[in-house]
Amino acid sequence: MATPGATEAPAKVPAVEIRGLVKDFAIGLRGVKLRAVDHLDLTVEAGQVFGLLGPNGSGKSTTVKLLLGLLEPTAGQCRVFGVSSLRVEARREVGYLPEAPYFYRHLSGRELVHFYARLCGESGTGLGKRIADVIALVGLAEAADRRVGTYSKGMLQRIGLAQALVHDPRLLILDEPTAGVDPVGSAEMAALIGRLKAQGKTILITSHLLGQIEDICDRVAILDRGRLMVEGAVADLVNRAGRQSLVVEEMPPGELAALRAWMEARGRKLLAVEPAGRRLEQVFLEQVGRGKGEGETRP
Amino acid sequence: MRSRAATLLIATGALAAGGFTLQTWVTPAWAVVRARQPALRLDSRAVAAGQGVTLALLGGFRALVADGTWIRMYTLWEQRDLPAVETLAHLVTVLDPRPVYFWLNSARILAYDFPAWRIEAAGGYDDVPAEVQRRVRHEQARAGLRFLASGREFHPQSPELWIEQANIELNRLVDLDAAAESYRRAWSLPGAPYYVARMHAECLRRAGRKAEALAWLVRLHPTLPVADDGAAAGLVLSRIRDLEKDLAVPPERADRPPP
Amino acid sequence: MRPVRFSLARVGLIAGNTVREAARQRLFNLFVVLALMLVLGARWFRDFSFGAPELRFLADCGFGAMAFFGSALTITATAQLFFSEIENRTALTLLAKPVWRAEFIVGKLVGVAGLTLLFCGLLTVLLAAVLWTREGALMQEFPDNFAQGRVVSYAMVAGAGAMQWLKLLILGALVLLVASFAQTQTFAIVTGFLVLVICHLQHLALAAYERSGSLFGMTASAAIAWMFPNFQVFAWADSLAAADFPGWGQVARVVSYGLGYVGLGTALAVFCFRKREI
Repeated sequence: MATPGATEAPAKVPAVEIRGLVKDFAIGLRGVKLRAVDHLDLTVEAGQVFGLLGPNGSGKSTTVKLLLGLLEPTAGQCRVFGVSSLRVEARREVGYLPEAPYFYRHLSGRELVHFYARLCGESGTGLGKRIADVIALVGLAEAADRRVGTYSKGMLQRIGLAQALVHDPRLLILDEPTAGVDPVGSAEMAALIGRLKAQGKTILITSHLLGQIEDICDRVAILDRGRLMVEGAVADLVNRAGRQSLVVEEMPPGELAALRAWMEARGRKLLAVEPAGRRLEQVFLEQVGRGKGEGETRP
Repeated sequence: MRSRAATLLIATGALAAGGFTLQTWVTPAWAVVRARQPALRLDSRAVAAGQGVTLALLGGFRALVADGTWIRMYTLWEQRDLPAVETLAHLVTVLDPRPVYFWLNSARILAYDFPAWRIEAAGGYDDVPAEVQRRVRHEQARAGLRFLASGREFHPQSPELWIEQANIELNRLVDLDAAAESYRRAWSLPGAPYYVARMHAECLRRAGRKAEALAWLVRLHPTLPVADDGAAAGLVLSRIRDLEKDLAVPPERADRPPP
Repeated sequence: MRPVRFSLARVGLIAGNTVREAARQRLFNLFVVLALMLVLGARWFRDFSFGAPELRFLADCGFGAMAFFGSALTITATAQLFFSEIENRTALTLLAKPVWRAEFIVGKLVGVAGLTLLFCGLLTVLLAAVLWTREGALMQEFPDNFAQGRVVSYAMVAGAGAMQWLKLLILGALVLLVASFAQTQTFAIVTGFLVLVICHLQHLALAAYERSGSLFGMTASAAIAWMFPNFQVFAWADSLAAADFPGWGQVARVVSYGLGYVGLGTALAVFCFRKREI
């Protein structure tokens, strides 16, 4: 089957390419149109961790569904590694973790991952090991043979990630991966995403929790009412050019005045003096003893 | 993008077109099934839509539900609710036309019970004129006979239905010729009891057709098993003698069965 | 890029999962238990029988249970198994894999077919066992009535069971067609029961079409007669005697008719589901 764009060199093909994407939903019997995505243009290069941010109802999940071929665009197009997302072939290179995933409760975690692996065409003698590996990667080795119906929300997210990874896709789409998950689970997910990025995976994350995404993503796009408001590298968006913060131990007023004078003597200006804050999440993680890098050891 | 309405319209059209082809294909098979199952020939009897739906939903439960309906009919019979009994009698045979019992007993109720109920409802035997009573008896007898005729569509080999027809013709219509003919038809079917053949002769005799009655009994007698009490070969011979006497048959021409 | 072709292996996976999910549902087990109770309890119901031969009566109860509970099971299970995927969003995960929507629909139908095969098979075997046992007892009791040996043809019992299954398969395909465009499970179930009634009465519409004089009457009855299969074609359970076997030509025609409707219903379900927004 001829695939448009497939002849292009893989390295140059973006992982995700969205051009002029529009999605209208007909509401009610009179068919009043609700525009969920409004002329969206977006490119995610291979190997990036890309955050698709925005408040609830901003069109993030609709964009993801369009990307997965679960919805048909009203106008425009989406391509995954150069293949139109309307084609089944486009989904071969995609692993998808839906928001608040719900899986077949009657299957065990291992059976569930096996089921999705087989659907992706995975088979052969190495499949069992591959399944065990992804289950271990998400930290569910000990619960692999328990029924999914008994899993907690965090465990469901992790088994969801395992099923998304089992066929070794190049692109991972994680829809609100930390929604409803405790800070420990969120930190573990962040650590996992870091490891996957290191493996060369392209990761597209949607979230409305901007703080969590900030630490993970290379680039972000912010949507509002279906429109792209801003897009760029995280560092470019959050850093203010020409300014720096220094964190020092608390200084008595006399020493502070001396520092201010010292700086003014050199033509510098001290703009603000305020207590150094910490994020509450960081405090929580320190208190429960699960700082970054420890998450994967959780039983 | 194609609208939902257009999708449904296309699907409906395709279903009708495909269904038409399949319908044409199965027509010969349907004709065979229909011929084998008289219950499906609903057009031959007036069946209310409600009954049809009941039939559709019951599937294989027909026997069980028909039996339940019959029990319900008995309750109404005790209350002498004529229209309800008649409706349920029909419904029972629509639900399950296979047991002869339903046809037989429904016909008896129509022919014997209904006239009594109607006459009593009109004032009783003493007050209702004899002519009216005769007309009611005849109307109900004919209703019973129609029921039996419907039953014979499903049970053409059943002697019981012909016997009941003969009984009604004999006892309610007092039509001896018709009764004789019905007994004869019953006797021609497998499994008919021996008394039916004797009843045929008796009806002929009472109708004044003694020579035919004698000829019938003379043909019948050699076929009767002597050892079977029900066959009553001795009784038949005695009837032959009586008829020979009535008809003054000379001794040399009289029937002489082997001893 | 290597094309993704329609895969029977994926259909089998979806079907297997559907059967497993259904078999663990209380509804399925309830219908099975009720039907089994009815088949086994038919011996006691026969006290209410008015003249129908006992074996005939037992068979009626057995096939009645199969048709009644089987139809209810098929309609509810098909709608429920389909909508549970949509409402629980498992379809989202599944269709985000390289899976054709046609594979999903066919997989669901094969799953329902497996479920109903299990149901009809179990009941047919049980009914045959009940008939065999009772016939044996009657042969001891009334040897004269069984001078020629057994009167029940167990091949006919199996054939009637197979016809019941085919009927349920058509019903499953039609319910799946409704579910493919319906917005709610309740709508699919209610429509499914309506379809069941119409299919049983379709022959009346056919007769009305053949006799109708008015254009409206002809159009209305033709629409019903052509759109819905005639379930009475599959009514074999009225006879248990080997002599009443309808012949292989007849069997082939009826089976192909049934499978034709299954194919038609499934193809249209795929057509309606192809563009459905998940």
